[in-house]
Amino acid sequence: MTISLASALSRKRLHAPFAALGIPPSVALAFIILALVIGWSLVPGLFSGHDPFVGVPADKLQAPSIAHWFGTDQLGRDLYARVVHGTASSVSSALIAVVIGLFVGGLIGLLAGFLGGWVDIIFARLVDVLLAIPSFLLAVIVVTALGFDTINAAIATGVSAVAVFARVMRSEVIKTRQATFVEASFLSGGSRWHILLRHVLPNASRSVLPLAVLRFGLSILVIAGLAFLGYGDPPPASDWGLLISIGKDYMKWPWLIYAPAIAIIATVLSLNRISRWLRKTD
Amino acid sequence: MRNAYLNYAGKRLLQAAVVVLLAYVFTFLVVSILPGDPITNVLHDPQNAFTMAQIQEIIEAQGLNDPVALQLWHALSGFVTGDLGLSMRSSRPVATLISEVLPSTLILASSALAVALVLAGLIAYGSQFLPRRFGQGFVRSLPSLFLSVPTFVIGLVLIHLFGFQLGLFMVIDPNSFWATVFASIALGIPISAQIAEVLVANLDNESAQEYAAVARARGLRQTPLFFRHFLKPSALPVVTVVALMVGEVLGGALITETVFGRTGIGNLVQRSVVTQDLPVLQAVVSLAAMVFVLVNLIADLVYPLLDPRVKILGATAVRSSASTSDTASPTVTV
Amino acid sequence: MTDHLTSLRLSRRSLLAGSAALTIASFSGVSAFAQAPAGGDIVFLINSLGDTWIPNNSAISSFQGHIWGHVSDKLVYVDVDGTPSPWLAESWEQNDTATEFTLKLKSGVTFSDATPLDAAAVIANLDIWYAGRTDDGINPIGLFPKTYDHAEAVDPLTVKVVFKAPTLGFIPTLGYHGSILISPKTLATPATEQADLSKTAGSGPYVVDSWKEGDFVKLMKRADYNWGPAAVGHTGPAFLDSITYKLVAEQSLRVAAVQAGQADIAYNASPQELQSLQEAGFTVATPRYLGFVNGWAINTKLAPYNDVKVRQALQVAINRQEIIDTVYTPDWKLATSFIQSNVPGATDHSALLAYDAAKAEALLDEAGWVKGADGIRVKDGVELLLTLHSNPYLATSKSVDELIAQQLGRIGWKVEIRAYDVVTFGEKVHCAGDTIPAYEVTRSFIDAGTVAGILTDANKGENWFNLGESDARINDLRDQIAGAGSLEVRAPLLDELKAYVLEQGYFIPRTQIVQRIYVQSPEVKGVVYNGVAYASYYAATKGTA
Repeated sequence: MTISLASALSRKRLHAPFAALGIPPSVALAFIILALVIGWSLVPGLFSGHDPFVGVPADKLQAPSIAHWFGTDQLGRDLYARVVHGTASSVSSALIAVVIGLFVGGLIGLLAGFLGGWVDIIFARLVDVLLAIPSFLLAVIVVTALGFDTINAAIATGVSAVAVFARVMRSEVIKTRQATFVEASFLSGGSRWHILLRHVLPNASRSVLPLAVLRFGLSILVIAGLAFLGYGDPPPASDWGLLISIGKDYMKWPWLIYAPAIAIIATVLSLNRISRWLRKTD
Repeated sequence: MRNAYLNYAGKRLLQAAVVVLLAYVFTFLVVSILPGDPITNVLHDPQNAFTMAQIQEIIEAQGLNDPVALQLWHALSGFVTGDLGLSMRSSRPVATLISEVLPSTLILASSALAVALVLAGLIAYGSQFLPRRFGQGFVRSLPSLFLSVPTFVIGLVLIHLFGFQLGLFMVIDPNSFWATVFASIALGIPISAQIAEVLVANLDNESAQEYAAVARARGLRQTPLFFRHFLKPSALPVVTVVALMVGEVLGGALITETVFGRTGIGNLVQRSVVTQDLPVLQAVVSLAAMVFVLVNLIADLVYPLLDPRVKILGATAVRSSASTSDTASPTVTV
Repeated sequence: MTDHLTSLRLSRRSLLAGSAALTIASFSGVSAFAQAPAGGDIVFLINSLGDTWIPNNSAISSFQGHIWGHVSDKLVYVDVDGTPSPWLAESWEQNDTATEFTLKLKSGVTFSDATPLDAAAVIANLDIWYAGRTDDGINPIGLFPKTYDHAEAVDPLTVKVVFKAPTLGFIPTLGYHGSILISPKTLATPATEQADLSKTAGSGPYVVDSWKEGDFVKLMKRADYNWGPAAVGHTGPAFLDSITYKLVAEQSLRVAAVQAGQADIAYNASPQELQSLQEAGFTVATPRYLGFVNGWAINTKLAPYNDVKVRQALQVAINRQEIIDTVYTPDWKLATSFIQSNVPGATDHSALLAYDAAKAEALLDEAGWVKGADGIRVKDGVELLLTLHSNPYLATSKSVDELIAQQLGRIGWKVEIRAYDVVTFGEKVHCAGDTIPAYEVTRSFIDAGTVAGILTDANKGENWFNLGESDARINDLRDQIAGAGSLEVRAPLLDELKAYVLEQGYFIPRTQIVQRIYVQSPEVKGVVYNGVAYASYYAATKGTA
C-alpha cells in the first residue's frame, strides 16, 4: 500500500486529487458508484421521491422522462424508485452470500490446511463434491430445497461459493505455515492457536479479501440470475434480477430491462475493479 | 515410472467415482428436505377439485410416504446398477428424458466454448499488440466488463436486436443455426473473460521474457511471434481453465436455455426444479459432476504426458495453483 | 418499427412457401377431399406443455387440454354458452330422479388404433374417470360425479349409467375437458406407457405425429374422421393438415413471433399488449370459461374475517372497475356474481359488488377497527391485515393483488402479498386452511350444480368458507340444490344462494376470469371456442383465399 502510494506520487500523474490518494481514476469512480449504491440501500427514500409500491395506474408504461427518470412499469410505478428500493435486498443478499462463503469456506480451508491429516482428507472430498457440481446448478438445487425467496437464494449462493473459499484458504494456510517466520515461531514455543491467530490468519486473509470482494460482485450476478428464474422474492419486491425478469414480459418497453440491468452491471463492474486494485496494491 | 503413473491414474479414478456418488447422495438429501413432489403437485391443481382427504388417499396408495432412508436406498441401488428411475413429473424413464435433451446441450456447450476460446484469443492478441494508450486499455478491460453483465441480459439483448429488430433468426426455432450462434455467444462471453484473464497474464509473463525481446529485435513479425512464442507456452494453463469452465458452461446453460427457449439439460432442470422432480435432478447433478470430474481427470492425466517438466507427484500442485487463478489472475487496467 | 415489419413480411412469405410445398405433398397422397378448403399447417405457441401425458392426469390441464381436444372426442359437446348437444352420444334419456341415464352411441366410430368406440369402450372410460388407478399413479377425474355407481352395456351401442343419488350434472360433465374418450387398449396399459403421448390412441380429428417433451407436439389430420360435433357445423375430416404446439416460455417472444409471422397463434399474451395487437390487425380472443369468477373464498373461522362486517367491508372496498382498467382491457368483464355471467342460469347481483369506500370505512368503524397514527386500522392492538396468496395458475394474479393492496391501503387496510410457486402454493395454501384468510379461486365447471359441493364439508364437500355445518341456511340451500331433479326447480335456489353468499361476504369476486388469451394471425379463420375456453382448430382454415 505504502509502496504504491509512493510510486504513484513520484510518477506525478494527472488527476492530482486521486493521485494524491494513490487511487487510479477508474477505481475512484468505482468507489463513487459503490457509495451511491450503499446510499440507495441504506436510505432509499433520500434518493427517490416516488413510492416504489404504489403507482398511478393511468401512467403505466411511460418512457423515461424528467418526472420518471427510468420510466414507469406496467402498474404505473416509478421504475427509478423501484430500482433504488430494490438495491438493499439485491446488495445485502449478496453480502449474506459472501459472508456465508467466507466463514464456512474459510473455516473449512483453515482447519484442513492447518490440521492436515484426516481432517484435510475428509474436507478435501467434501470440497471436491461441491466443486464438481456446477455452482449455479448447486445454487438452484439448494434454493429449491429451502424454498423460493431472496434470503434463501442468498444462502444457496453462499453454499455454492464455499468450495472456492475453502480451497484458496487452504492453500494460503499451507503456504504460510511453511514460511520461515511461522516455523520460527513454532520452534520458539508458540502455541498452535497463537500461531494460527497471529500469523496464519492475517497472512491468509490478505489474498482472501480480494476474493471476497470479487465474489461479492459475482454473488450479485448469481442472485440476480436466481431472481430472474423466479427463485427469489416475488413482486412487489423489486430486486434487480426480478425487475429484469418482469421486464422481459414487456419487451416493447425496453427500459424495463435496461434500467435494472445497468444498475447490476455498474455495481458489479465497480466491485471487480476494486477487487483488482486491492490485489495489485497488496 | 510407468507403474507410478498407473498407480496415480487408478487412485484419481477411484476418487472421481467417490465424488460422483457423493454428489448423488448430496442431491437426494438436499431436495428431499421439502415434502413436495410432482405427483402431489398435480393433485393440488385447483382444476382437479380434489379435497385434501382425497389427496392424502392417493398419496398413500402410491407409497410416497415411505421413510426417507428407504427411498434413498432404492434410488442409490438403482443408480449404482445404472437405473436412473422414473421421472415423478412425467412418469417416463429419466434416462429417456436426458437422452432426448442431451444433444442440444452438447451442441450449445461446445459452440459456446468455441466462441469463448476465439474471443479470449482476440482479447489476448489485442492486449499485446494494440496501441498501448487506446486500444489496449479497452481490450484489457473487456474481461472485467464481460464478467459484470448477467448472462440473461446478454441473451435478451441479442434476441431483441438480432431476433426481432434485424430478423436474423426465428425466435421460436431456437435450434436453427443463427439462434444457436447467438445462444452460444450469450453463454460464451462470460466464459471467455475467465479464459482471457489467464491467457493475458501468461502472455504478459512471456513477453517480458528475454527471448521475446530478442525475437522482436530480430524483426520477427507480430503474428508468428504471438502464435509460436506466446500462445504455445500458455496452452497448459488454458487447458486447465477450460477444464474448470466445463461446470460453468453447464450452469450457464440453465439460464441461456431458458432465455432462448432451447430444450436442453438446463431447461430440463428448470422444469424439474419447479415441480421438485427428484429423480431427474439427482441424475442431472451426478451427470454434471461426472462430466466435470472426467474432464479434469483427463486434464490431470494428460498433464504429465504433455509437459515432461511436470512430475507425477507435482502434478496436483501445478494444477491447483493454476486453478486458483481467479484470485491470482492479472490486474486489468480499466 | 417499419424495418421490423418488412422483415416480418419476408419471413412470412418464406413460411407460406414452405407450407404450400407441404400441402402439395400431402394432397398428392390423399385426393378424396378436393372440395374441402385448402389445407395448411399452423403453429400454436404455448407457454408450457405441462407435466405428464397420462390422459387422466393431464386432461384438465390448461396446456395439454389443447392437444387432447384435438386428439380425442367427447360424448357430449358443450358450447361456449354451456349448452350441451349430441356428439358421440347421439341421444340420451334420464329417469325422473336423475339417477339413471341411457346413452345411444354413434356407430362407425373408431379410435386411431382401429379399436371400435362402442359401449364397452365407453364403460372402460367411465370407470377410469371415476376411480383412476391410484396405485399405478393414474388419478381419478376430479369433477366426475362422485355419485357414480356403475355402467352397463345394453347393446353394443347403448350404455346405461347408474348413480347412487340424483346427478343432474352428469350430461354436461360428459362435455367437460376431463371427460375425453381414450382407446380401452391404451387405458389398459400401465402409467409409464400412457405417459408416452405417441402410444395413446383417441378418436379425434387429429393424431399425434411426433412430440418431444418440453418442446413440441405435432398433430396430423386423420383422413377417415367423420364424426365431428354437429353443433360446430362440420363433421368431416379437419381442414388444416397439421397443428404444431410449440413451447415458447417467454410471453413476449410468443407474441412477437406471431407478429413476425413466424407462428400463427400465441397463447396467454399479456393483457396490456392486446389493444395494440388488435389495432395491428391481429385477432385477439378472450373467451371466458364456464365456472367460478376469479375471487376469494373467505375463511370464516379466522379473525378478523369471522366478523361479517369486516367481510362486507371487503366486498365493497374493492374497486373492480379499476382492476379492469389497469391490469386488464375492456375484454374483461366485471363480475356480476361469483359464477361467470355466461353460465346457463347465471343471474346478475352486481349491485352487491359496487365500489363504495365510504360504506366500507363505516362498516369497519362499526366493527371497531379504528385508524391509528400511521393510517392503518387497529382493534385491540392488532392491525387490520389481509394476507393474500397470489394464485400461481393465473399470470395476472400478482398484479391484481398489488392493485387491491393499493386500494385497501387507502382505507387503512394493510395487505401482505405472498406469492408462491405452484409446488409451494399446493403444499401451503388451500381452501379453508388454518392460516389462509382468503383463497383465490380459478375454477371452471360445466354445471352450476357444482356449487353445492363446495359450500360445506358434508359428502366430502370442499368447505370453501370453512363453515362446516354452522350456517343453517347454506345447509338447507345445499341440500335442495343437490336434490333438484330438474333445472327449473334448481334455478331459483341457485339465485337465492348466490345473493346470500355475496351478502355475507363469504365469496369476494374480483373479475370474471379469462384464463386463456389467444392472439392469432388474421389468416386463421373458423376457430371455435368451447365451454372451457379451449380453441378448437378442427373446423379452422388458413389462408387469405
